[in-house]
Amino acid sequence: MIRMFHVSKNYEGGSFALSDVTLKIAKGEFVFITGSSGAGKTTLLKIMFGSEAPSEGQIIIDGRNYFKIPRAEIPYLRRRIGFVFQDFKLLPQGTVFENVALSLKVMGVGSIEVKRRVQKVLSYVKLSHRANFRAAVLSGGEAQRVAIARALVKDPAIILADEPTGNLDPHLAVETIELFKEVNGRGTTVVVATHDSTLIARYAKRAIGLESGRVVA
Amino acid sequence: MKKRGFTSGVVYLAADALRSMRANAASCALTAVTLGFSLAIFFLFLFIFINLESAVNKWGDKTHIVVYIKDTALKDGVERLRDSARFIPGVKTVEYVSKEKALEELKAELKGHEEIIAGVDVNPLPASFDIRVSPAYTDAQGVASVVGTLKAMSWASDVQYSREWVEKFSAFLRFIELAATAVGVFIAAATVFIISNTIRLTVWARRDEIEVMRLVGATDAYIKIPFFIEGVIQGFIGGVFALGVLTAGRYILLGRMPGYLDFALSLPLDFPELLAALAASGMLMGATASIISTTRFLGN
Ligand SMILES: Nc1ncnc2c1ncn2[C@@H]1O[C@H](COP(=O)(O)OP(=O)(O)OP(=O)(O)O)[C@@H](O)[C@H]1O
Ligand SMILES: [Mg+2]
Repeated sequence: MIRMFHVSKNYEGGSFALSDVTLKIAKGEFVFITGSSGAGKTTLLKIMFGSEAPSEGQIIIDGRNYFKIPRAEIPYLRRRIGFVFQDFKLLPQGTVFENVALSLKVMGVGSIEVKRRVQKVLSYVKLSHRANFRAAVLSGGEAQRVAIARALVKDPAIILADEPTGNLDPHLAVETIELFKEVNGRGTTVVVATHDSTLIARYAKRAIGLESGRVVA
Repeated sequence: MKKRGFTSGVVYLAADALRSMRANAASCALTAVTLGFSLAIFFLFLFIFINLESAVNKWGDKTHIVVYIKDTALKDGVERLRDSARFIPGVKTVEYVSKEKALEELKAELKGHEEIIAGVDVNPLPASFDIRVSPAYTDAQGVASVVGTLKAMSWASDVQYSREWVEKFSAFLRFIELAATAVGVFIAAATVFIISNTIRLTVWARRDEIEVMRLVGATDAYIKIPFFIEGVIQGFIGGVFALGVLTAGRYILLGRMPGYLDFALSLPLDFPELLAALAASGMLMGATASIISTTRFLGN
């Protein structure tokens, strides 16, 4: 499903965020990306998502080579990937419902269908009672779950979650990973970046370790 | 997955556009007013040009050529001579002025001074054809070709025409045409530039929203459509506003101009046509401006 060959990323500033990363994530797999702060986890996910271009190397997603993703294809790639951003990227003035609905609206899904699916996913992340709250007033944990709901609502082939439990208490963190496991059980490929080693220890899942931009385990 | 139809999709995005216009009412109004003034000036120039051109064409219509006929040729019959002139390309009408009529006209012109020709027994004036040139031949070249053909006629004793006047006037008209085109292009470009900058501000104000939309898979077209609709609506409002500015502007100018220049401000279109033309031009400019500003914003 996702393969990377000798991928390096050199940001404008000069530092190597990733060096020579080669990895393979199978369809339907559940994988953790681990590493300390600044190891390159976010960069790795962004390259898979097409929001950063690699400086070197090849990426194959869904059998398609994406060294340089043609600009016009990026929206369609993103519709198949649910991304949970480390900083959520919600619209503060929009309601919870509108934020989640946006990812279906941009795909041209009809409003009745949008309503049905958003309500379903909100109850899934236990946020039904917050549907009409503006995102700006939510707690960190609630905002995080809105971001998760927005990634899940489109039934993506791949979920890339960047530190999805960072703002959650241990109990909610476990529940969130359980949620991803459930989605994974229905065939979705899930990649979770986290530095929470207790969480990783709890699940017998593959973990790809990053250290200063290199794969270590 | 059920996809929304294209039409209902656009309606949906139009609602988005209207919502954003309500939120930015002041900048929207400013855009429409700017557009309105520019369109009014643009159309004022256009009308002055159209009116001048039609006036010149009318004068051009008066361009005429006089061919004097040798007395000796007259005995062959005027009709035959007239036909030979009438079928020259570029000749519209041929009017025969007999020797007698020429004398009468001369006498009429000399009214009060008839003594000048009192002693003349024989009519010394030649008969002539008064020739009008068809519109396609009123330029210098056209007139010259008609004159050349007439001169070659065996019955023609002399050909007179207002050559210099025709040449000067067609050169003047070409100059006006060029100047009006330049001014028109300049005003249109300046307007689109100003408006695309105002729209760019509204795009910029929504940059976070646009970024999020792109992250969840919105195409460029999806992001552009509300701004496009906004631009078209603003253009329409600007066009209607321009009608008011133009009407008021005309009224003020007409009151301050010497009456003989009033023709320059006459409206070549009736009211509904004018409204349609202004609204359509406004919408076109608004659409162009929104495409320019959103493409510039997204294209990095
Ligand atoms: N846009 C950027 N421009 C320049 N350098 C960057 C940029 N983004 C990230 N970096 C650098 O690249 C390295 C890897 O960053 P990245 O965000 O991928 O780390 P991370 O593993 O996600 O860290 P964290 O756990 O803190 O989120 C860091 O040294 C960071 O400073
Ligand atoms: Mg990170």
